[in-house]
Amino acid sequence: MRNLKIMLVLVLVKVSTPTFADHAEDHWLEPIKPYRTGMVLFDRLELTRTDNNDNLIVWDMLAWYGSDTNRVYFKSEGKNQQNDGEPTELESTEVLASRLIAPFWEIQGGAGLRGSLASGSERENYLVFSLFGMAPYRFEMDNSITINEDGDVAASVEAEYDIRLSQVTYLQPRLEVTAGLTDAEKYDRPSGFNDVRIGLRYRYEISREFAPYIGVYWSRALGQKADLITDEGGDEFETGVVAGVRMWF
Amino acid sequence: MVKPTKQDRRRFIKSAIGTASALALAKMAPAWAYPLGRSYGEVINGENVVDLHIRRENLNIAGRSGRPITINGSMPGPLIRLKEGQRARLHVSNALDEATSIHWHGIILPENMDGVPGVSFPGIKPGETFEYEYDVQQNGTYWYHSHSGLQEQLGHLGPLVIDPADGDIGADREHVIILSDWTFEDPDEVFRNLTVAEGYYNYQQRTLSDTLNDINQQGLAKTWQERSMWNRMRMSARDLLDVTGSTYTYLMNGRDNSSNWSALYKPGEKIRLRIINGSAMSFFDFRIPGLEMTVVSADGQPIEPVTIDEFRIGVAETYDVIVTPKGDRPYTLFAESMDRSGYVRGTLATELGQEAAIPELRTIPERGMAAMGMSHEMDGMDMSSSDGADPGNDTNHDMHEGHAGNMDMGEQQRPSAPDLGIEHAPGGHGPGAAMIARNPVSRLNEPGVGLEDVDHRVLVYGDLIGAHPWPDERQPEREIELHLTGNMEKYMWSFDGVKYTEVDGPVEFNHGERLRLIMVNDTMMDHPIHLHGMWMELENGQYPRPRKHTISLKPSEVVSLQISADAPGSWAFHCHLIYHMKAGMFRVVRVS
Repeated sequence: MRNLKIMLVLVLVKVSTPTFADHAEDHWLEPIKPYRTGMVLFDRLELTRTDNNDNLIVWDMLAWYGSDTNRVYFKSEGKNQQNDGEPTELESTEVLASRLIAPFWEIQGGAGLRGSLASGSERENYLVFSLFGMAPYRFEMDNSITINEDGDVAASVEAEYDIRLSQVTYLQPRLEVTAGLTDAEKYDRPSGFNDVRIGLRYRYEISREFAPYIGVYWSRALGQKADLITDEGGDEFETGVVAGVRMWF
Repeated sequence: MVKPTKQDRRRFIKSAIGTASALALAKMAPAWAYPLGRSYGEVINGENVVDLHIRRENLNIAGRSGRPITINGSMPGPLIRLKEGQRARLHVSNALDEATSIHWHGIILPENMDGVPGVSFPGIKPGETFEYEYDVQQNGTYWYHSHSGLQEQLGHLGPLVIDPADGDIGADREHVIILSDWTFEDPDEVFRNLTVAEGYYNYQQRTLSDTLNDINQQGLAKTWQERSMWNRMRMSARDLLDVTGSTYTYLMNGRDNSSNWSALYKPGEKIRLRIINGSAMSFFDFRIPGLEMTVVSADGQPIEPVTIDEFRIGVAETYDVIVTPKGDRPYTLFAESMDRSGYVRGTLATELGQEAAIPELRTIPERGMAAMGMSHEMDGMDMSSSDGADPGNDTNHDMHEGHAGNMDMGEQQRPSAPDLGIEHAPGGHGPGAAMIARNPVSRLNEPGVGLEDVDHRVLVYGDLIGAHPWPDERQPEREIELHLTGNMEKYMWSFDGVKYTEVDGPVEFNHGERLRLIMVNDTMMDHPIHLHGMWMELENGQYPRPRKHTISLKPSEVVSLQISADAPGSWAFHCHLIYHMKAGMFRVVRVS
């Protein structure tokens, strides 16, 4: 957490450094001022029904504030299973400092938190580094490496692609792969590939800011994680249907 | 040239305004846009002191209630008419709750009268009056607008016409047509939408069915090649204008299509139309179906007459055309936005209330190979993926030698512009530039995207020939090269990859020198670049060169301009697309 604070301070210092331009008299205002803005984006905010007839609320959101090159991000992903008496599960909640290093890529670093929101339960704190942006062929990507207090290293790749069906409708394939680079038994993340999840969503923009969607997904546990699940009599596959909304403000 | 006698004029006015509907129409438009043009005089004549009052007030725009910035109660503001050789005295009073300014676009004047807050003066604070005063040394069609923030988008603009010293306008009658783009959204909100959501206003993107059609028509291989090239670059071939008809209502003299601004003529008259693009973000293609136009002036400066059927007018440019309507039928004055997302029309008629057929919007054009600087090769878009390269240091381009300035004017109608052999330094322009034009070429003889295949004459920059040589005939002693750079995804716009807020100093001109300014457009958009305080003579291979205050560059184009650095002081130099300017595509030129 201290690293994160230092990083945030560095970013804010950078963001707020005054710029000196070249107008005729120094007490005049600048003709063009530095510009900062921000947004909150719920990329996915959905109701999920799994093939086990479980109902979940799932979210995947981010918020940022800053200039075009230096930004602060807050990202959060999680789920809450309905009527199971269990608390909300945070897949990740991260605060990151971000810098644009190439026209389509931001490099981000910060700290995060994973685990159940139940009081008293142990949560996992970690540092995270991400390469966030748009790959050639217009794939929106968020690639992260995390390292927790025990030194466990995990990696994840998320990619989305928008196929434009009309000016306001889209078909969006989505891919998410997670892997453990080290064994993290405490958190059920053995080394090797852990999960792969593929989704397909059909989205309709009522406005640019508000777009309901429906979709399906298929996921499967991989490698040692799949073995663990089958050993416990679980199902390594999961499919489901989703209905939700993509929105920003 | 025959001027109508006073009596003729009076009779004409009577017949034209003798109906209630005509009077009703007249109330909605700014007084100077009154359809009788010059023969009716509700303009501000600038012989004496001109008082201009800037306010924010509710006004009916296109049938809805808007809240524009008005000048003396109208939006656009009044037509200010000055005379060459006079001393202009313009007193601007600010009744807004924020600072404002007026820049006299295209006028040669002292540095402290240029009206750019932070560059030429501190701006006009709320409640204050600023007294502009300068000698008018030129004539022609110009305009004026706020240079403060995004006020221009709120309609803080108006036409400025300077009569020649001898009073001869070269026609029997004239009309001023100022085009603008109005949005009911808050301009700050528009800018934010552009910065946080690329393509926010573009509802003309390619879809899956376009790709399927292409596969049908040109085969899978070619379609794949094209699509993969654009997608690899993460750019859109339909990225024509950032802000479109999806939010804009296009206006002609403050009126929308339904209120049909009308200009009257009498059969047999020669009419001078002074067309000004006062838009914040919109390029227009202007034509009058059934009527050819003879362009006699560009950016207020006289050119050799050239007869065409259509011209593209970049933001902030002006063109004067002479038309001679045949018979007594009405003609549609048609200004179509470059991306075909909308239009505004008016009517040139013999009586108020007449209308002519309105052309349909043409199909949405797409940018081609040339936009990527790839007219000669298919692959090899040079991506600037320079991590951590210093974006500020971009002066060491390998320049090939210049060229001889004066071309001989033989048979060739459109000589080619000089080959400047631009080469880019490795490393590009940093993260603020999503591409560099690998093979920038002169595109002065191209009409522009969407006009390549029209079956009539379209004006190109290569057609422009100055009406006479300009006083400074020296060869340039020095060259300055600037690259237009941008990153659409993040809405970053700059020169040489460096936003105004990041530059470490002005562009230096030495007072008295003659220099050549070379600009390379390393972006996929058209940019109208405006230099304050000095003329730019466009090296289009013609002689005398045409001179411009605003020059539009097509994607991957290189242009060269000759400038006499004869105006000491600090001058703004920027892209006239208002949101590009706000994003940082702005520099100060210091002449010292």
